[in-house]
Amino acid sequence: MSPKTDIEQELRQQRQRVELFSEVTLKIRQSLHLREILSTTVTEVQRILRADRVLIYQVFGDGSGKAISEAVLPNYPHILEQSFPAEVFPLEYQHFYAQGRVRAIADVHAPQAGLSPCLVEFVEQFAIQAKLIVPIVQNLGTAQNPNITPQPHLWGLLIAHQCSQPREWVDFELELMQQLADQISIAISQAQLLEHLEDIVEVRTGELKALNQSLQQEIKERMQAEKALRRSEEQLRLITNALPVLISYIDHQQRYRFNNRAYEDWLGKSPAEMEGCPLKAIWGEECYQRMEAAVEKALSGQVVTYENEITLKDGSPRSVSVTYIPHLDSRKRTKGFFELTSDISDRKAIERMKDEFIAVVSHELRTPLTSLHSALKILSAGQLGELSKNGKQMLAIADDNTERLVRLVNNVLDLQRIEAGGLSMSKQHCNASELMVQATEAMQAMADQQHIALQVQPSDIPLWADPDYILQALTNLLSNAIKFSPPNSTVQLSVGYRQRGDRQPTRQRSRQKLPPHPPEVLFQVRDQGQGIPLDQLESIFERFHQVDSSDSRKKGGTGLGLTICRKIIEQHGGSIWAESQLGQGSTFCFTLPSLKPEGIQS
Amino acid sequence: MKRVLIIDDEETIQTIVQFGIEMAAGWKVITASSGSEGLSTAESASPDVILLDVMMPEMDGIATFKALQDNQNTAHIPVILLTAKAQTAEKRQFHELGVNGVITKPFNSLDLPGQIAKILQWEQQP
Repeated sequence: MSPKTDIEQELRQQRQRVELFSEVTLKIRQSLHLREILSTTVTEVQRILRADRVLIYQVFGDGSGKAISEAVLPNYPHILEQSFPAEVFPLEYQHFYAQGRVRAIADVHAPQAGLSPCLVEFVEQFAIQAKLIVPIVQNLGTAQNPNITPQPHLWGLLIAHQCSQPREWVDFELELMQQLADQISIAISQAQLLEHLEDIVEVRTGELKALNQSLQQEIKERMQAEKALRRSEEQLRLITNALPVLISYIDHQQRYRFNNRAYEDWLGKSPAEMEGCPLKAIWGEECYQRMEAAVEKALSGQVVTYENEITLKDGSPRSVSVTYIPHLDSRKRTKGFFELTSDISDRKAIERMKDEFIAVVSHELRTPLTSLHSALKILSAGQLGELSKNGKQMLAIADDNTERLVRLVNNVLDLQRIEAGGLSMSKQHCNASELMVQATEAMQAMADQQHIALQVQPSDIPLWADPDYILQALTNLLSNAIKFSPPNSTVQLSVGYRQRGDRQPTRQRSRQKLPPHPPEVLFQVRDQGQGIPLDQLESIFERFHQVDSSDSRKKGGTGLGLTICRKIIEQHGGSIWAESQLGQGSTFCFTLPSLKPEGIQS
Repeated sequence: MKRVLIIDDEETIQTIVQFGIEMAAGWKVITASSGSEGLSTAESASPDVILLDVMMPEMDGIATFKALQDNQNTAHIPVILLTAKAQTAEKRQFHELGVNGVITKPFNSLDLPGQIAKILQWEQQP
């Protein structure tokens, strides 16, 4: 053979080797699964080297090992899945291989192979004549943690056996084995990485599944809750829509957040149109002015009921009764309020009719009464001729009873007017002293007639009240006191400040623990009459109630005087009560707020 | 001697007012049964005071009072309303109209001269 032919052959062989190597590498890399890669490797190596057996032997941490992949000709024993104890693979061998060194033994029996007899015996059981051992070394720490300096670690061995005869291993074979061992090493790293990734993926998948499940559960629960909410909302709508009253919820910014259908029927605005609309925009400036105080009261956390006049979509007016109920959160802050408005136009119309009726009746009664009253007075004056004694007595009876009828008509009308509302009260600055003097002056004649001394202790206390009504209350009380006092006794009228809650003659006194308030003005009318039994101290303020029914006739009372007093005082924001001890006289007391009420003060 | 014109559609009221005032004070009382009659009587008789009923058919007391005020021959005559509407709110309303006073029904006609004198601050007659 010429040198040229040698070179050509060499080149051709080299090309074949490269091709072979590429081919094997490609096959190895087609899989990511280590078991497949190892299996492919041993099969390919065995084919290329024409070795009798090729195996991959994995070395474990304790020095023991196991053949985990093998390609072997049929007529030789299998080593696959066989485990070998650490003694078979001494530590110095491990160090040797860990450094990446290879071992080629052409004949296990040859003395230069340097195998111990026991090892020779060991290899003979697998019919091994020659072997080529290439380590599979991993540089630990590269994949998982790049910060650690790579440490060579012997993962295992790629081993080729010749069983038929001894064999001289050539460089090409060594190289191929070495390169494939490197490839295996890479594949192992990748597989480990993959496994690690798969673990992570599995864990993550598990987590995601759990999350997904809980999300689905939550969605399900929410859907159920929504469904329940929708159902309860529907029910609520059904109920509120069926009611012929306005029902709404208004937030703290005075905007509508819920309206029932009555709003549409009354105002022509659908709940959707009203959602978010401010009260003022819906009702208009003028109507809102009448609502404003109540709205503010509701937003300050108080239940409030008031009456208002509204206009419906067709322009017709309606009288309504409105109630606001504040909506408080857990910290007692007002979030908004519920509103309930009912049509009281019919009731109002009836009330107006009643008022008119009473006014007309009272007028119609007064005119004949005036004639009767005056005619009797003229007759009793005696200028039209003297009457007999009996005649005078009859005339006196007629006269007294006419006067009583006059008072009754007056009182019925007064009571009706006062009950019709405090609106007609015209409160202003006035002086307690002046009112007291006026009242005593008015009652002086009656007191003189009954031989009663009127004692007044006026005091210059400013009041915020309707003077005409307070005068009426004072004269009513004085008139009562005079009526029920024995002759030659004294009736006292006094006034002073007192702390609120200082009351009272009733049984609640001991239980009353009221917070301090600004002082109020206390009026007292004291008589020396027969007194009032304890159990009647409250009921005497009821209509047509008198302690002794015979009193009514004897004293000529109407049974309405105290009721009127109570109404007047209540309309002023005060209170009225009686204190008495039987046989020791009675004291009628009433209070008025001192000075002006809030809001007008400034 | 004072001269009083009473304008009231009720004849009995006219009578007892006339009797009472004449008996108690000896004043002269002239009567009219309607607003329109009262207007002409007031103009012709020129009384010292007019007692005017509020509730009358056709021309009520308020309208009559306004008419009296609009006539320069009667505008100066003091007017006291006779009313069953005793309430303070209405009393105030009447005063705002410009009437000199209000006397509430039912009244004792014998007391009328005293009440009139007090309202108009006349020297009390004996």
